[in-house]
Parts: sequence; C-alpha cells; structure tokens
Amino acid sequence: MTARVAVLVFPGTNSEEETRDLLLDCGADARIVHWSEAASLAYYDAFVLPGGFAYEDRIRAGAIAAHDAMLDVVIEAAQAGKLVMGICNGAQILLEAGLVPGSGEIRRPTAAFTHNAQGHFICERVLLRRTVAAERCAIAAALPEDALIPAWAAHGQGRLAASTAHLEDIERGGHVVFRYADARGATDAHLAPQGSALGAAALTNREGNVLAIMPHPERDAWNFNHLDRREGADVLAPSGGSVLFGSFVTALERW
Amino acid sequence: MRDLAVAELDDETLRARADALGLALRVDELRGIADRLGRAPSLVELYAFDAQWSEHCSYKSSRALLSQLPTKGADVVLGPAEDAGILHLGEHEGERYGIVIAHESHNHPSQVVPFEGAATGIGGIVRDVLCMGAEVVAVADPLRFGNVDPARPHQRAVARGVVDGIAAYGNAIGVPNLAGDCYFDPEFDDNVLVNVVALGLVKESQIIHSRVPKHGADFVLLLVGKATDASGFGGASFSSVALDAREAESNKGAVQVPDPFLKNVIMRASYRVFSMLREREIEVGFKDLGAGGIMGCSAELCSTGGFGAELDLDTVNVAVDHLLPEVIAVGETQERLLWALPEETVDEVERIYNEEFSLPQVAQNARAVRVGRATAAQRYRLRHRGELVMDVPIDFLTGTVRDTLPAQPPDPPRAERAHDLSCARMLDDLLHATLAHRDVCSRAPLYRHYDAVVRGRTVIPRGEADAGVLAPIRGSRLAFALSVDGNPRIGRIDPQRAAEHAVYESVRNVVAVGAEPIGLTDCLNYGSPRDARQFGELVAGVDGLARSARALGLAFVSGNVSLYNAASDGHAIPASPIVACLGRLTDVSQCVTLALKEVGSRLYLVGETQRALGGSVLAALLSLHDEGVPGIDFERVLAEHRFLLAAARAGLLRSAHDISDGGLLVTLAEMSFGCYPAHRAPIGIELDGIAGWSNVGRYESLFGEWGGIVVEVAERDVDRFEELAGALESVREIGTTIPQPILAFDEEAWDIDDLHRSWSRPLEELYP
Repeated sequence: MTARVAVLVFPGTNSEEETRDLLLDCGADARIVHWSEAASLAYYDAFVLPGGFAYEDRIRAGAIAAHDAMLDVVIEAAQAGKLVMGICNGAQILLEAGLVPGSGEIRRPTAAFTHNAQGHFICERVLLRRTVAAERCAIAAALPEDALIPAWAAHGQGRLAASTAHLEDIERGGHVVFRYADARGATDAHLAPQGSALGAAALTNREGNVLAIMPHPERDAWNFNHLDRREGADVLAPSGGSVLFGSFVTALERW
Repeated sequence: MRDLAVAELDDETLRARADALGLALRVDELRGIADRLGRAPSLVELYAFDAQWSEHCSYKSSRALLSQLPTKGADVVLGPAEDAGILHLGEHEGERYGIVIAHESHNHPSQVVPFEGAATGIGGIVRDVLCMGAEVVAVADPLRFGNVDPARPHQRAVARGVVDGIAAYGNAIGVPNLAGDCYFDPEFDDNVLVNVVALGLVKESQIIHSRVPKHGADFVLLLVGKATDASGFGGASFSSVALDAREAESNKGAVQVPDPFLKNVIMRASYRVFSMLREREIEVGFKDLGAGGIMGCSAELCSTGGFGAELDLDTVNVAVDHLLPEVIAVGETQERLLWALPEETVDEVERIYNEEFSLPQVAQNARAVRVGRATAAQRYRLRHRGELVMDVPIDFLTGTVRDTLPAQPPDPPRAERAHDLSCARMLDDLLHATLAHRDVCSRAPLYRHYDAVVRGRTVIPRGEADAGVLAPIRGSRLAFALSVDGNPRIGRIDPQRAAEHAVYESVRNVVAVGAEPIGLTDCLNYGSPRDARQFGELVAGVDGLARSARALGLAFVSGNVSLYNAASDGHAIPASPIVACLGRLTDVSQCVTLALKEVGSRLYLVGETQRALGGSVLAALLSLHDEGVPGIDFERVLAEHRFLLAAARAGLLRSAHDISDGGLLVTLAEMSFGCYPAHRAPIGIELDGIAGWSNVGRYESLFGEWGGIVVEVAERDVDRFEELAGALESVREIGTTIPQPILAFDEEAWDIDDLHRSWSRPLEELYP
C-alpha cells in the first residue's frame, strides 16, 4: 500500500497546494489536511508542513503552531521514526517544536530560524548543496551526490540562530543537511542571503527522519517554473527542486 | 432620530453644519436630497449619500468621459460593469477559463499612513477579484514616489512604508507579486501614487456576479469577515478630496486597518463555499465591501439585481459596543464581503466560515452573520435599535449622478527638433549616469521584499523579462503575461501621448515575452476635476487611451479613476494614466525572457528610431526642456507585434527586451545583466555602427525612448527569422553577441560588470 502523506494547513498557511501537487507528481499519495480535521491525522504515515505565516507569526515564526493540536500528532509520529518535512514556515514550526535539531526537550527550542539580517522579507533564487553523507538524513538520502538544488528563499525569518554551544552541537552532530551554495557548488556562510549561522539552509534531527528546510524547492520544481528551461523538455514535468521531493518519496517507499 | 434640518438653514449655515459633520456633499446636493425625501434627512442618510455620491463611488465627473473607451472584443467575457473585468484565457479539458482583472488606486491612504494604506490597497483589490467567484492568483503594483534623496526623510519613509505594506499583506495571503513599476519624481512629494492590480482564475461557467440574481427576492444578505469597528469612517469621501498637510493627521481615522491573516483564511473559506455552491448549482450574489461599507455594498448588490434592501444594523458583528449607526452603516472596516444567498444555503455557508474555518477564533468576533434581506420593495432601509434610521428610494441612492465640468485642453504638443542633438558630454559618462538614474536602475532592492513565487505557478518573476508570466492551471500549458506601465516624465509634458505611450508600453512588454495581448485595464490618476486645466489633462488622457486601444484592437475591461491627486498648494501631480495589459500564451514553453542566451547570436531592432527626446531620461539628465514626445505609428506597431508573436511561436526568439526608460543602450546592457540571477557568466554585445540601422543622430538612437523591441536570434535561425519578417521594414540587424563580457560600440568597450555596478546599486540605500 502506498504511504499516505498529510500536508498540514494551519490558519495562515499559504503554500499547501503546490506542496501537495509536487508530492503527487513525484508519486506520493498526498492530501491537504486542514486544522479543523486534526482528528484524521492518525491515519497518515508521513507529514509535510508547508510554507506560510501560521498564526500570523505571532511571538516568533512557528511559535504558536508548535503548540497546535496537529503538532501533538506530528511530534508523536516523529518520535516513532515517521518521516516529517517542514518547508519555510513548516521548518520554523519544527524548530519551535523542538524536533530539530532535537537536542533539547519537546517544545523547548534550542535553535530558531529568526529575523533575517536585513530586517525584512527577501525573495530570491538560491542554490543548495547537501553537506552531509547520504545516510545522515533519510529524506535527502536518494539525492544525486553533489547535486545543486535550485530553490527560492522567500522568508522574513530564515536566519538560523542559536547559542555558540548549540551551534557547535549542530555542526558537530552533522545536523546541517543543506547549505547555501554558489554555481560551482562551493558553500560558504556568506552565501546565506539572510545571514543564517553556519550558512545553513536545512537541519535534520539526530535520527535523520525529520527535515526542516528554509528555502522552497517546490517553487522551482517543474520545467515551466525552472530557471533553466530546456528546449524540448516537457514543460509540465517535474525538474529542478523536485529532486528533493523525489528523494522524500523514495524514503517513504523504503520506510 | 438625529437629522439635519436642511430646508430651514441658509446656504452658509448649511455649509458650516455639513463641514462640522465631515460631509463632502455640496449645498445643492444636500438640498436635492431633502427635496426628494420631502423631509429632513437623517444623519445616517446623509453619510450614506456622502459616500455613494463621492467621486470615488459615483465617478460623477469622469463617467461621461469613460464611455469613450472601447470595452468590447472577442476575448472580453465581462466588461467594466462589476467589481472586476474578465478576459478569456483559453480552454483546458473542455472548460473555458477566464482571468479576472481589477485595477485600483490607494493613493491618499498611502500618503497619510503608508504601511496600512498600501496594505489595504492589496486587501481591497483582492476582494474585488475574489467576489467574482475566482481564485486570486497574482497582484501587481505600479508605484510613484517623491524625491527620496537622503535629505528627504518623510518622502523616504513613505516610499519604504508603502513597499513594506504591500509585502506584509501580499506575502501573508500567499498571492505572488508578478509585476509592477516604480518612478521617483518630486512632483509626487505630497501625493504618492499606489496603484494595485489583482488577477484571478475562474471557470467561465462559474462566474459569480455582484448582484442579487433574478429570482432573488427575499435572498438573505450574509455579511462575512472582520468585526465592524470605527476604522475607515469617511473613506470614500476622503479619497475624493485633495490632501492638506494640516488635515493629514485627522484623516488617519479614515484609513482602514489591514488583517492579511484573517484574509488568508477568508479566501480559503470562500473557495470552499464556491465549490459547495457549484455542486448544488445555486446562483447567488457576492460583493466586496469597499467604499461606503455595508450600506454601499448592500445597496449596489441589491439595486443592480433590481431589488431593494432592508438591513438591521443591530445584527452586525461589531468590535466595540455603542458604535453610531452611521459608522456601522458606512464605515470601511477591512476584510468584509457580503453574500446574497437563498435561505436554504445560509446555514451551510455560515458553518463553513464560522466552524470549519473558525473565523471567530482567527480574529476577535470575525464571523459570517445574517444582516438583512433583498426586498421586492424598491427602498433602501436600515434599522437600528428598533428605529428606521434610513428609508430612501434605492435608485436615488445608487443612481447615476453627473457633474459637467469645463475642461481646458493642454498646450499643443511640441514639435520634433529639425536637427540631431549635439552634446558635449562623454558617451561613457552618460551611459553610467543613465543606468544609475532612479527611473532606470534595478528595482530588485524594492521587489525582493515581495513574494514573487508563492503558489509555485510563477513562470517568469519580476526582473527576468518585460512582463510577469504565470501558468495558473495545474496540468495545463495555458499561461498569462501581465505588465503595468505609465511614464510620468511624459505625463508632465504631453498628457495625451502619455496615455498612448502607457498603452503602447504595456502591450509591447507583453509581446516581448511572446504573449498575445488580449485586454487592458487603466487607473487614471489626475488632479482636481474642478480645475479646468487639470480636468483637461484627464480629458486628453482618456482620448489617448481610447485612440491607442482602438488602434491595437484591444478593450478596457476594468478600471478606476483617482482624482484630486494634488498637494495642498493645488499643484497637481503629472498626468498619470497607468495601464495594465494582460497577454495570453497558449503554450507556456514559448515564453521569452530578456537574458541573452548564447554567443554568436544576431541582435535585431524591431522598431523605428526617432529624433524626439521629450520625456526621456536623457532629456532629464541634460535638462532639455523643449523636446517633443515621440509619436506612435500604431499601424506599424501592430505589424511588428504580429511578426514578433509569430517568431516567438516558431521558437526563433532566444531573448527579447523592449526599449523604454533610458533607451537602447540600457536595453542591451540589461540583456547582458540577465546572466546574474541565472548564476551564469555575462554574454557580451558588439553593437554595429548607427548608420546601418538608424536615420537619426547618435544620442537619439542610443538614448531615445521611441519604443521598439530588441530580439536575440541564434545564427542557425537567421534565415527563417528574416523570411518571416518579409517586407516589414522596421526589422534591422544591429549587432551580435560575443564571448567577451563587454558592451562594445565604436571606440567604446564597457565592461559588463562595471555597468552592472552602476545599475544594480542605486536603490540599495533606500531599500537596504
């Protein structure tokens, strides 16, 4: 039986449809589940938290949603080893829930994606490169080695921040799955457009079944919205950033 | 009941009493109301007429003019009659799809409270599109700011606050910002322009109209959204008077408070209601609450359907107790819409908003609530605390009011110079100064505040081509292109040609991405209609729009008029007709971006150089004051556009970019700069000697703003391209792409990186 993926919608979420569509196009059985349907979440095998402004980013992006009843189910699932991916606001929620990097207690975050260095929302193309071994994070395991993943940074709070000690733990524990890269694949902290610590674009937990990724691979994910549209390619077919979703679906099949 | 004894007061006292009440109605209008009602009008009635008869709602001085605009065409599904127009996009899986398009201004609110004013501009236009039964898929923002030099903190704060407001609202509701333009001019110091365009996707069989349907007697009026408060009281009248600096502070109460978080949920809940109504095949009415609040919306929703209305103001969900009935009735609290529904659907719609999407938990006392009914009786009635506080003939309230005003035609346009310009300034210096000019330089520091790609359907975001392109339907190759244009440097010297150029530029930009233009909208931003000279500019502008749209075979399907754009000294803004053009791509894979694609391509100019430099950046830099504005040969333009679209469909255009602010050298440089967002090394250009492609002088050819489009054609496609051009004379080869990262011309060889530095940085200090 195909694994069932729930794409969660909190009040204020805004990227649920394209996230669901790309999961479908990559072969997953994905459905949008709305906050009033939280009771149905128990029937799902994996969870994707899409982008947006859940609960209006009150207090800090993701802080309120981390206490939503839907997160009770997600936390339990993550602890049971199910796959959980948060994109942008979804990533912020996973950090606020304490699932990633997972060094503290639940709902006691040890790191956060917080206000950009420039103090405002930015929307620009970025390239990401995986900087951990394939087996470190199940969701990113099936990516081609050295692949450069195109994505869009589109956030006001995408700068990883934590105490020096926690940042050292994050680095040493191999939690930084993706970093911002240049066209040659070089990674350097200054390539993070919002000043993210460690040049980090995505973090995983200790077990590698949860991925919190700030930029949006699903916005450069079909030939029609891919920067390098190739002549002759099917314009409606997945490309670009869809490789990460493809890897997620591969991990689901293995799981 | 509180009323105003109009008949008992002399003109002077009546004016003073009306002023004290904050009513903009004229004395003759006040007397007309009292005469028609045969009694002293209540205060609620006066505020209702004040809103309904304001310029903002009634278009009283512009309506006759606007009837000149062409509004019909093969692609027009719905012309300018409701909250938004609709153009036919195409068919997919047997369904006809339309694009809903609305165009508005939020100029005065944005001047007074920039963040909230600009944000509510987005909020309002999104509701205009939503209420047609459409999914909102894109917004765009044409902006005109004042002089933002470092020593002008107020103008800078306004320019920043507006961008922050647009970003905060649009990003949160999750609608991509697809297009826009921006100019800076000291004549906007006291009155910025913040126009906004929104687009929606709708199946043509499922359009919801802003009227109670034919069989709708006794339909329930269901108010949805934010709890009504005291914000936005007097908004319609406020936008219909000139701004006075001393009054700016007291006007702040007339500006509404935005809540994009609530709007996000209302939009999604409304989509759910749409699908429920479609399943049951029920015809309903749906309308946005804008100017005139609950009163304006319910009166128009019912009277357009041929009905009267009766509402009980005590049933309205309010944020604070003890609101005066006129505030509940005409206040412009944001994030509200009104349904006209048959009784049997009301419970289900209420359940969707209030329970499934939990509006009351999303914002304090937000909800869907029954407030009244459509009535067969042709009266508009409001009750409050058991008392009838308004009872007027509905056609009197919503009917046409017209002012006939004198207009003085603008000065005749200046003639073109007989000789080529001679100029002492070095070409190198001029090119860098042009690239760094605020009207030319990169807008990325500004638009990167906006989410351009949410929803994942943006094909070409801002900055990568002349128009934004979006493919709105999953599984379909259909796409649309959008461009918004209007050049205030031309508006200042030639109001009629400013309108023609606004149409030409928006259409040209859509053609440059390979899309077929299918329709237009306009926002007419002008000074006071009570000043004959300023009104004359509006008359000339509408004439220019009508003439150019007819020449290009296009219709205006929606629009807005924003008058009284002037500083307190009466000095009007430059005539600012702003035009949006929507284009259609039947196959999104045929769209064209501006970035040069390969070395060894030929570059062609499609267009004719002209000597006139009026309205150009060069004229501004050299302080040339007596220049005429380039004319437009629409017959030739139409032929050029047909040719370019055929070439795009045949896959012959590797890249394309129009010639506008700054002229040809800027166009070429920007085509080279296209490599940067794509993380590629620059491709250079060698421009041929002018004699081979232009009949006018060096400066006019390189910096003139006479329109036209530059296209890149790969060496292998040259024969097919030239064959397709056939006898079209205005297609000339002007250069080639080269591997060296330089722009080479004559003795000059500019380094692309150097040029890019001049162009990319000027706005970074304003938008860090």
